[in-house]
Amino acid sequence: MLGFGLAKGLKYTLKNLTKEKPTYEYPNEPLPLPDRFRGIQKFYPEKCIVCNQCANICPTDCIQLTGKKHPDPNKKGKIIDTYDINFEICILCDLCTEVCPTEAIIMSNNFELAEYSRDELFKNLEWLDENDENIRKVNKA
Amino acid sequence: MVEDLLHSQPGILNFGIFFLLATVLLLVILGFVTYAILAERKVMGFMQLRQGPNQVGGRWGLLQTVADVLKLLLKEDTIPKLADKPLFIIAPVIAFAPSFIVIAAIPFTDKLQFADLNIGLLYYIAISGLTTIGMVTGGWASNNKYALLGGMRAAAQMISYEIPLVMSVLGVILLTGSLNLNDIVAAQENVWYILLQPVAFIVFIIASVAELNRVPFDLPESENELVAGFHVEYSGFRWAFFMLAEYVYMFAMASLTTVLFLGGWLPLFSFLDFIPGAVWFALKFMFVVFLLIWFRSTFPRIRADKLMEFAWKILLPIALANIFLTAIIKEIFKLL
Repeated sequence: MLGFGLAKGLKYTLKNLTKEKPTYEYPNEPLPLPDRFRGIQKFYPEKCIVCNQCANICPTDCIQLTGKKHPDPNKKGKIIDTYDINFEICILCDLCTEVCPTEAIIMSNNFELAEYSRDELFKNLEWLDENDENIRKVNKA
Repeated sequence: MVEDLLHSQPGILNFGIFFLLATVLLLVILGFVTYAILAERKVMGFMQLRQGPNQVGGRWGLLQTVADVLKLLLKEDTIPKLADKPLFIIAPVIAFAPSFIVIAAIPFTDKLQFADLNIGLLYYIAISGLTTIGMVTGGWASNNKYALLGGMRAAAQMISYEIPLVMSVLGVILLTGSLNLNDIVAAQENVWYILLQPVAFIVFIIASVAELNRVPFDLPESENELVAGFHVEYSGFRWAFFMLAEYVYMFAMASLTTVLFLGGWLPLFSFLDFIPGAVWFALKFMFVVFLLIWFRSTFPRIRADKLMEFAWKILLPIALANIFLTAIIKEIFKLL
């Protein structure tokens, strides 16, 4: 019937008034992301054995690290001295975290990397250590 | 109160009182426009499963429109080089002024009215037609083909739809026997005209939406066809004036619908008359405004070639038939 479609449309929009909204309150609340999301890495300096595997496997060569001798002369091996990731070129491919034998570097769900200056994208050991929110749960052990 | 003022001696004091009253009314209307725009965005947002403005001014975005107007005030006032400068400047004024003038005739309650005219309804319709001139002037003076097309469409549409609008109202006038808006409300003491004149009400609502240039009749400013219609070249405060005129007309048209068909300030049932008339008027008024917003978020725009056909071949015959039917029924009741 003529005009019935209009009534149908009006009914539909009126029903929509009370429906739950599919939008996110993103900047105020973090986005719900899957646990396998590849975000900015979190680094544990105490776990690192300076094996250099992450720096070797990195496809874009964005990881630079240096180690030093263990301060305790009785112990073998090295401890980490500096650890930098250049997020200008990091592609968040997850290879460094997969290859790490001690899970000293893991992925988090943080992805907000916008900065006013390019050199702020050069993150050092301290920054990566402090990036300890929304980290991947599978790797927590 | 206003009656006494109208009949008193002209003078500085008299002028001052009227000026003050008009300023107060203007502020009330600006307040309405501010929150009508917010309500429109909010309701449309909810109907489209969005939140609508919710950043400026707390959870409900209460200062969003204020911020928007502030932005418009700060914007550069541009006038195209080849525009007709005097016409370009005066067009927003011509478009806005009638929208404010018509409100003087509308009775909000039995006491709150600025001018109790015997030809209130005719006055409203005659003055509101002037806005079209502002739009055509703006479209012409911009020296822009989109603006000109928009202005032409506005003129054609608003003049065409004014006729079914007036014709639908004639049924109400026949039943009341008066053009005075107070008498029309008083005649609805027992039953509202929406029940006695349902056909007239439907024609009136359709024609009034077309008069307001709102969806589904927003062809004069259809964004995706004409960029923005007659106000493409306008920016800043001149553009705000066109926008203001549009929303003040929404205020005026919703008030007129309330007065003509929904019984103005009269209560729904006579036992509810302890609630003041102003509240009743506001409730009905808000319902009409909601209806307009509801239409906007529901209907698609009508096709340009169907627009005139719809006005002249469908709405006008229905309105005319309604007048004849009303006249015949009235005569039969008189004979009985």
